Amino acid sequence: MTTPSPFAPSGSVPIPLREVESELARQVSAQHAAREHPVQLARMSNLVIFCDQREQAESLAAEVSKVVAIHPARVLLLLGEADAQDAAVSSAALVRSRHNGTAVDAVSELIALHAAGPAVARLPFAVRALLVGDLPINLWWASNQPPPFAGALLFDLAENAQQIIYDSRGWLDPTRAVAATSHWLDAFARALPGGRWRVASDINWRRLKAWRRLLAQALDPTTPGGAAATTTELLLEHGPHAVIQAWELVAWLTRRLGWTVKAGKVEPGIEIRWAFEAPHGTVSVRIRRLADVPSEIRQVRLQCHVDGRPATLAFRPLHATRLELNAEGVEAAPRTLSVQPVALAELVGRQLSDRERDPVFTESMTTAQTLAQSLLK
Amino acid sequence: MASVLTGALADGKVFEGSTTLLPQSCQLVIFGGPGDLSWRKLLPAIYNLSVDGVLPSHFAVTAFGVPSEGTTDADPDQYIRERARSGIGRFSRQALDEAHWENFARSLFFVQGSFNDMRAYKQLKARLESLDQQFGIPGSRVYYLAVPPGLVGQCVEHLRAAEMICSPGDTAAFTRVIVEKPIGRDLESAREVNRVVGAAFAESQTYRIDHYLGKETVQNLLVLRFANSIFEPLWNAKCIDHVQITVAEEEGLAQYDAGTGEVIATRAGYYEGVGALRDMVQNHMLQVLCVMAMEPPWSLAPEVVRDAKVGVLNCLRPFATADVDANVVRGQYIEGDVHGQRVPGYRKEVRESFEAMGRELPRSSVHSTTETFLALKLYIDNWRWAGVPFYLRTGKRLPKRVSEVAIQFKYVPQILFNSNPDMQLEPTVLSVRVQPEEGLAMRIASKLPGPKIRIYPVKMEFNYASGFGGKSPEAYERLLLDVMAGDATLFMRRDQVETAWQFVTPILDRWEKAGVRDLPEYQCGTWGPVEANRLIEPDGRVWRSL
Repeated sequence: MTTPSPFAPSGSVPIPLREVESELARQVSAQHAAREHPVQLARMSNLVIFCDQREQAESLAAEVSKVVAIHPARVLLLLGEADAQDAAVSSAALVRSRHNGTAVDAVSELIALHAAGPAVARLPFAVRALLVGDLPINLWWASNQPPPFAGALLFDLAENAQQIIYDSRGWLDPTRAVAATSHWLDAFARALPGGRWRVASDINWRRLKAWRRLLAQALDPTTPGGAAATTTELLLEHGPHAVIQAWELVAWLTRRLGWTVKAGKVEPGIEIRWAFEAPHGTVSVRIRRLADVPSEIRQVRLQCHVDGRPATLAFRPLHATRLELNAEGVEAAPRTLSVQPVALAELVGRQLSDRERDPVFTESMTTAQTLAQSLLK
Repeated sequence: MASVLTGALADGKVFEGSTTLLPQSCQLVIFGGPGDLSWRKLLPAIYNLSVDGVLPSHFAVTAFGVPSEGTTDADPDQYIRERARSGIGRFSRQALDEAHWENFARSLFFVQGSFNDMRAYKQLKARLESLDQQFGIPGSRVYYLAVPPGLVGQCVEHLRAAEMICSPGDTAAFTRVIVEKPIGRDLESAREVNRVVGAAFAESQTYRIDHYLGKETVQNLLVLRFANSIFEPLWNAKCIDHVQITVAEEEGLAQYDAGTGEVIATRAGYYEGVGALRDMVQNHMLQVLCVMAMEPPWSLAPEVVRDAKVGVLNCLRPFATADVDANVVRGQYIEGDVHGQRVPGYRKEVRESFEAMGRELPRSSVHSTTETFLALKLYIDNWRWAGVPFYLRTGKRLPKRVSEVAIQFKYVPQILFNSNPDMQLEPTVLSVRVQPEEGLAMRIASKLPGPKIRIYPVKMEFNYASGFGGKSPEAYERLLLDVMAGDATLFMRRDQVETAWQFVTPILDRWEKAGVRDLPEYQCGTWGPVEANRLIEPDGRVWRSL
């Protein structure tokens, strides 16, 4: 193993850890001096981002300016290369400005911290010294390792965080990951001493927002047609790395509809099948992986009866900006729902100020865990 | 109220139509002139005052003591000038300006001698008298005792024996003495120091310095409270939930050479056996508490302000033995990480420091129980503060250097925007930052833009440096000027010091009786031992995240 070179995002100034604050102050002053507009240091929270791959860190460094355009924050971007040879904590600082159309230009701070090998465990010490007091702390766990398996590092990084944001897209071994996450969520969000509280948010859940809205509208028991009460089969197709997204949607939907899982079977990388007990009988649910398509849910198909006639409700993305519902086998015009295309940076940016607990998410994850257990039996 | 000296009037050094006192012609004599405090703080402070043009026109500085090298064969004045130059170069608020430095250096002198050697005092006296002639100074002196507490008595007694102290009633010249903290190591020894100093100097000539009180933001606490109409009506138990005062240091005892890892400087000789209670709480933190919590003084005259401060100390609820165990938490740092560097634990630092000093480690220090962290909860039993807890927290090797006073206002009722019991809104907090970046901040709740009502905490900040431009004067600058001007407002009176000791004595007694072998530990670079959380969390509160 070779010692990895320190990570410093483009434009940042490598600087000893002790001098980061003074370097940031220097760069802010330089922005003042260089601009015609007044300059304001904008920060509504601390955003600590942890990742463990260098490529990912570079890509995140580029995304950060989009995140802080939505939610200004002091950003601490941490790269911890656990599998590399020991490299002590190094740091780099960057103040970036953006003209936001007002009379004042906003500047935001990015601090990159890098460590490798055993020194990764020292990152939380560096973080404590660089957080801005009195502002909420958000931890974006950008590693592919699910939070329940992250151990002491996550625990230390999240010690005063009010929100931990993670993205379950791309998790390996989804069954074990989902099984562990519900327990972890419960432990993480449990009431803390001293009136403190915190939340955990999965970006994947946020991606499902439009899907949940369209499915809810189509399957609401009060909607004419009675599709929900006659469903016999449900199929979800997804692209690579989107299995947990599909899983969360199944968990949400089946919980809403009051179905109970009876048995499950998994063919890794191909398909997951469950049998559910619904008030009207058994329902077969499958999550199927497609290759060579975007990493997202590509289709939801429901076999049911509409107004007493066999039908298939097919939900699928139509371009990047709409979701479409087609009722096959019955005469009905397609229905569509507008969807704002949302990039990762925007999802995270919005999530930062969205600190309310989402009981529907928590319930769905409990169901997702039950689904996972049915596969592990 | 402090009287304006005739000498000052004769010099025309009082603002016309103002009672503001101006510094008077004098010689500043620094005992321990070659030492660390002088090098880091005092000489740079005097240089800055000189650059700013606020020193008296007839003024000189004489350092007195023994160089750290033991002796100086070269020109003694040149020795202290070089030492001053290096200190100014490293620590001064304003960069060293060659042209100004030459002028400043001409008023800087050194008398080499031991504090227990009467002949050295005679030499010092002769040199001071000669400099009086040279600089046109009327014999006025400010003696700054920048020496360990144990040497204060010796210095004062020799000064008296050498007839180097004017009577307080002398109208032609004055003598004032500045005594550095700590004043004693417990109530008894503090009384003894005060007695010895009091035998030679009148109380009006004695300036017990606590540099925290010279900091702009500490002074600004008074302005904030009494020059704004919105705060004082809220400054009481009706509106304030609790107060947190934090003094966090990232430094430990020793400084290490980055290359060799050897100890290059250490405070172990002073700190070991003293600890955070004596070093920080008894003086700095209780003084800041006084400014924060005192009743409005009826004037800004020194004695009136000092009376108001002592009023707070007199109202502190005394600790009974059981209270100490429940309301005081101490800790000691163990190996950890500060600024990316691995740093050793306290006991190892002490051991290495004594080795570096060439001194034998005292037996009691082998398993030292000196506290490097202290958290305590106290109450001020008066009408204004009844039932409001004050949480004080200080420690070494914490994640960052920060000192602040934070006033947390009460939660809004759990209705309307605060109706979710699982997610209480963050309460309003006013924080006064003492260091490193002096300023004020207020955290309030604000609506996030958008169709839904969502509340988010926002922070309104005022930073001294960016708000007023330039760097604020160092605390020592202000305090030295005040002594030269005869203004004792920001200095501790004898009863203030003794009352503060009286408050902490039950804690010291309890610790001594308890005789623990080990203290709760915390890793360097963390916010103290977990036991500190147990002090505050059962009250439904948390330590502020700084």
